[in-house]
Amino acid sequence: MNVLLAVLWKDLLSEWRRRDRVLAMLLFSLLVVAVFHFALVGVSDAQLRASVPGLLWIAFLFASVLGFNRAFALELENDALSGLALAPADPGWIFLGKATANFLLLVVVQAVTAAVFGVAFDLALAPIALRLAGIVALGSVGLTLVGTLFAAVAVRTRYREVMLPLLMLPVLMPVLIGAVQATAALFGGEGVAAGSLRLLLVFDLVYLIVSFLIFEYVLDE
Amino acid sequence: MANRAAGGPDDPAAERSGIDRLAAACRVPAGITLVVATGIYLTLVWQAPIDSVQGIVQKILYVHPPLAFGAYLGFIGTAVGGFLYLWKGDEQFDRFALSSAEVGVLLCTLMLITGPIWAKATWGRWWSWDLRLTVTLILWFIYLAYLLLRSFSEGGSRAARFSSVYGIVGVLAIPLNYFAIELAGGRTLHPENLERGSLGEGMGWPFAMGALTTLIAYGYLLAGRLEVEDLRRRVAGRAAALEGAVGD
Repeated sequence: MNVLLAVLWKDLLSEWRRRDRVLAMLLFSLLVVAVFHFALVGVSDAQLRASVPGLLWIAFLFASVLGFNRAFALELENDALSGLALAPADPGWIFLGKATANFLLLVVVQAVTAAVFGVAFDLALAPIALRLAGIVALGSVGLTLVGTLFAAVAVRTRYREVMLPLLMLPVLMPVLIGAVQATAALFGGEGVAAGSLRLLLVFDLVYLIVSFLIFEYVLDE
Repeated sequence: MANRAAGGPDDPAAERSGIDRLAAACRVPAGITLVVATGIYLTLVWQAPIDSVQGIVQKILYVHPPLAFGAYLGFIGTAVGGFLYLWKGDEQFDRFALSSAEVGVLLCTLMLITGPIWAKATWGRWWSWDLRLTVTLILWFIYLAYLLLRSFSEGGSRAARFSSVYGIVGVLAIPLNYFAIELAGGRTLHPENLERGSLGEGMGWPFAMGALTTLIAYGYLLAGRLEVEDLRRRVAGRAAALEGAVGD
């Protein structure tokens, strides 16, 4: 547990000093909002409202690919990754430290992106903000776990930036489906979609356990 | 490849492991069995009645679901091989996982090709975002990424570890995807069960023979692929030993 906090603190501190990763993610997801606006030509307001949950999650997904790639690319400098591998600590906790840092960065980006979405597409987000935050958090846990695990893999392959989305997108399909369904139900005023939330919860739990146990084989030099 | 062969006369890399010996012993008998089985299978399919509603195209039934069995078998083999590799650290399990993934991708690709042909004839469109179809498509993506990861990873043991991890994580996505797509309202157009009795008269035997033939084909291709992997390993071991001898 101390290892988790130490890695988390290290990552957040270095992010605070540079602030480049979160800014890049943020700028990127704002760009995506603009891209969506120009890509959706001749779409009626109702159709737009129906596609916003999907667009929102696409923006989150792309931003996370961008950010997670950097999380381990940083560790390659000065061979810090070997240092982490040699640290006398359970690799699982190192993983959770990295994942928590990624999660917190992602949450900041998501909050801003969602607010911009609300303004850009004229959505009344304020009354559902809390429930939306809950869904986004639930989806992002799975997103971060899988993304962080594969970022550690992808960063040590050739074409590392290319490899991460190819690895994580197909595995993350259940998260995307569950999260979009839940968000759509919320926007459509149908309340809480219990099935989707259960799916997200199961996914989070399964990948929490698996990635905690399996990270040892990814880190091992 | 320094981690693979120490060189010298008692080079451990020259020794064949259990799986390699089994593959080498099975390949020829499996090939002969496959030829015989294919003969019986084609005869049975030829004699099977032509569907009164769908016509001749219905005979894809004897090809398409058996390919699915083979594909899923291949992917489960990959996950099991990966798990055993991480657990035991024995390279032979990794070679098994890789070979199984390649055969699985081949069978899965054939399934994704035969499916739309049947679908166009009976459902009227090439593709539908049907429950099983979508799950299989995602699975196909996962295992293509698996093969890509292998070719983009450097170093024998690292590539093996990374892909083992991915193989295990990938197989876990199957049930979750199933649940997810069902949730998204993806009804299935596929029949719910293939229990005894759900097939028409005279369809059971060719279908069962199709499944059996696919399993034999899987075994034959797997054995051949394992032999290639074994030869590759031994050549690498010899090359390393020769280099060592020159270096001395």
